[in-house]
Amino acid sequence: MNQSLRFLIIIIPILILIFFTRVLLVDEDAQLATFEAKNFPTFELDDLNGRPVQSESLGGIKLINVWASWCITCLVEHPFLTKLSENNLDIIGLNYKDSDTRANAWLQKHGNPYLFSIYDPRGDLAFDLGVTGAPESYLLINNKVVGHIQGEMNQIKWENIFLPLIQKAQQR
Amino acid sequence: MAIKRFFTVIYFFIFSSFAFTQIVYEFENSLQEKRFYSLISEIRCPKCTSGSIASSDAPVSRDLKNKVYQLILEGSTDDEIKQYVSERFGTFSDYRPSLSGPNYFLWFGPFIFLAILLLIFFSKRRI
Amino acid sequence: MIGEISHLLSLAAALLLTLVLIFNLFFSFNKSHPNQLMLSMRLFNQSCWLVFISFGMYVYLAISDDFSIAYIASHSNSQLPIFYKITSIWSAHEGSMFLWIVFLIAWSFLFLNSLNKDHPLKKLTLLMLSLIILGFLLFLLLTSNPFERILPFGAIEGADINPVLQDPALAIHPPMLYLGYVGFVISFSFITAYLINGNFELQWEQDIKNWSLVAWIFLTIGITLGSWWAYYELGWGGYWFWDPVENVALMPWLAATAFMHSLFASSKSNVLKTWTMFLGILIFALSLFGAFIVRSGIIDSVHSFANDPERGLYLLSFSGSITLLSLTIFAYRLPALNSSKLVVSGSKESFLSMNNILMITSIFSIFLGVTYPLIIESIYGEKVSIGPPYYNTIFSPLILIAAAFIMISIDALWQRSMPLRTFFITTAPPTLLSLLSIYIIWRLTGIFSILAFIGILSGLLIIFSYLFKTINNLFKKKYINKGSAVAHMGLGLLFFAVSMNSILSYEKNLNLAPGQTISVNESVQEFHFKDIRVFKASNHDVISAEVSFLHDGKEISLNPQKRKYATRGQITSESAIHASVLKDTYLTIGDQLENGSWTFSLKINYFIKWIWLSAALMTFGMLLTIFKKKAL
Repeated sequence: MNQSLRFLIIIIPILILIFFTRVLLVDEDAQLATFEAKNFPTFELDDLNGRPVQSESLGGIKLINVWASWCITCLVEHPFLTKLSENNLDIIGLNYKDSDTRANAWLQKHGNPYLFSIYDPRGDLAFDLGVTGAPESYLLINNKVVGHIQGEMNQIKWENIFLPLIQKAQQR
Repeated sequence: MAIKRFFTVIYFFIFSSFAFTQIVYEFENSLQEKRFYSLISEIRCPKCTSGSIASSDAPVSRDLKNKVYQLILEGSTDDEIKQYVSERFGTFSDYRPSLSGPNYFLWFGPFIFLAILLLIFFSKRRI
Repeated sequence: MIGEISHLLSLAAALLLTLVLIFNLFFSFNKSHPNQLMLSMRLFNQSCWLVFISFGMYVYLAISDDFSIAYIASHSNSQLPIFYKITSIWSAHEGSMFLWIVFLIAWSFLFLNSLNKDHPLKKLTLLMLSLIILGFLLFLLLTSNPFERILPFGAIEGADINPVLQDPALAIHPPMLYLGYVGFVISFSFITAYLINGNFELQWEQDIKNWSLVAWIFLTIGITLGSWWAYYELGWGGYWFWDPVENVALMPWLAATAFMHSLFASSKSNVLKTWTMFLGILIFALSLFGAFIVRSGIIDSVHSFANDPERGLYLLSFSGSITLLSLTIFAYRLPALNSSKLVVSGSKESFLSMNNILMITSIFSIFLGVTYPLIIESIYGEKVSIGPPYYNTIFSPLILIAAAFIMISIDALWQRSMPLRTFFITTAPPTLLSLLSIYIIWRLTGIFSILAFIGILSGLLIIFSYLFKTINNLFKKKYINKGSAVAHMGLGLLFFAVSMNSILSYEKNLNLAPGQTISVNESVQEFHFKDIRVFKASNHDVISAEVSFLHDGKEISLNPQKRKYATRGQITSESAIHASVLKDTYLTIGDQLENGSWTFSLKINYFIKWIWLSAALMTFGMLLTIFKKKAL
């Protein structure tokens, strides 16, 4: 009994140390990669031009980007999104708790990287999606949400989180 | 000028305008009210580093509170409401881990630990 | 210039400490140098003074607005009152680490110099402390340097500290906490020295008893201040959230409390020595763990300092090595330490052992709660959240068991089991009275919550048993241990107040336009939103609501505010609180809606003042034991 107690007194701290070292060393971005895929929520909304959005238009590989004219950080990610759209990525905007006049003016002023933007002034679709604020991005593959990034989209997050998911899907 | 800007900033915090009732979150009975305040203290704010939606003023917290309110009035049970929130915001959003799988060790661990210590103590009886 | 000198002094101190260690290491393998200890102490004292002066200069830099120092520029501002310029030093990682080290050194300096020069453990304790201080100094200088300059020109003005931190309670909360955490390095080092030394005839408890007591008091005050500040400043009416950073402060406190009790037993009755030694090591190990958690950023918390894996790794390896060193020696000596005495069941010793077991279980529970999300995330990739629902559920039965044992053990005897008669006389009256009180509370309030009632029962058991015992001893002119009675009644009051608060408190969210009145419930009537005023104060704009209402017939006026700070543009909410004996009326202003009305959050919090009182009682009780006549 005594022997095992002595052994435990030393082994338990060592195990704790090993565990925390592992936690510290694991790549932070890799942790975000474990995301449970779910279906894109159903919705009945128009786009920013007043036309109803068809759910078929969300098929294939799509990046859903939550943005608003009042969102300052959205300006920060805007150039990167433009670059992604120029490289043939389909980006669909989700205009969150905004006014359509202001939203359209924003797109006029800063440029429009989106195929179209879903107009969600009350944030209903956003809520069903689990949006916590703007900017935020979701990766949609065949109408299933497979990835989620909080905060602004940038090269690092794109490469570490979304790109591997796209590549995995394209291999099939 | 600063005041005007101040109000503009305040405006941006407003995302849901209630119908103009005077007691916000008015319920049919006190049990519902208790359930509401208890639930919102157990749902984690998705945007804050830590804390429940009860203690958070973030827009998404406000939306969640309103949704919980609505669901209670519609007759959903506490479990159904938690499930509804988890579907949208993940297991992360529930401060009460479910009693399933590895969580058994979480909920019973301390008592198993206590039992082991008591066993050791009573068998050894030396100090 | 002064910044460079200050930096240099700290570097020099580190150098001196290294010399101390090398010097002694060399002479461990050869014949002892005749003045080894004296020389080592001289070097050590000098390095302590170097750091004190270095820190003093740093304070001067902060007061004199030297914004070429990066840390001061990011955390202070020329418009701040001097008090807050000083306290801004410990508002973030580098500066608070500096303060931590200053306290570490202060404790060590005072303790070592208080030891007789012939004290057999002096040298080993000195080495242990030097090693620990050096480790932290290097951590500061290598990874978290507070002296870094902004080159080439420095900032013109500082960035200002978070307005939420400009509060007196919050300003002294870290120093109190650190004094507590760090004070237990004494017991840690001294006990390790004792174990290395190997002479188990030596008496060691007396030497560290009062030092540990003082550290315990600081730790208690530090934790209470944090809670107090959260309640009055944060605006959500809560005082404890089981946030990871709160938890890592609570764990050392629990270990320290167990240690103080165990120390009492082992110094009086020669028992529980092994327990006491283990606990003495555990406290500081938990403090180190806390520092690691807070400063490495691996756990989400509102409190976390800079997230930096490099710092985390350093702290982890350093803390781990120090702790393993002590624990290994402890484990190695364990066979020699075991007394051959059997614990008599029902004796005071057995109850103190029980206390230790319960405290360690509590520590384990908190540790489990804090690390569980990390464990689940590494294995399953899933994110779980642990908070009040978990801790409240786990602690409820634990405190009931503790309360029962506290009650039973009041009349326990050393090395003799308790006669059955004593057992019944001690436990029957308080138990019956407590159960009756619970029944009355249930009938009066109409509320029933199993967790809360367990808490109320626990509190009442303790309070009533000490009340009975004290009154009994007063009549029989027997000795009353005042410190113990006061401290334990404080603990009982804490359980009682927290539980009552949880069942009686409620919240109402209101929506009114200026000029409107509403009746909220039978207790809160004629809630009148008189007016909303906007004005400027020293460094912020204010929106102030004037509200009056009748609370249980009494007229109360409150002015909750929202403030916008000029420098950072941050908006804070200042709650207005009316405190009475039984409850606090806590009013926070929300937001203005499109139709011009404002939302308010009205919280009625019960027994809040009693919670602060309980902390004061526990502290006061502990103080009384320091000043007890030399009955030991």
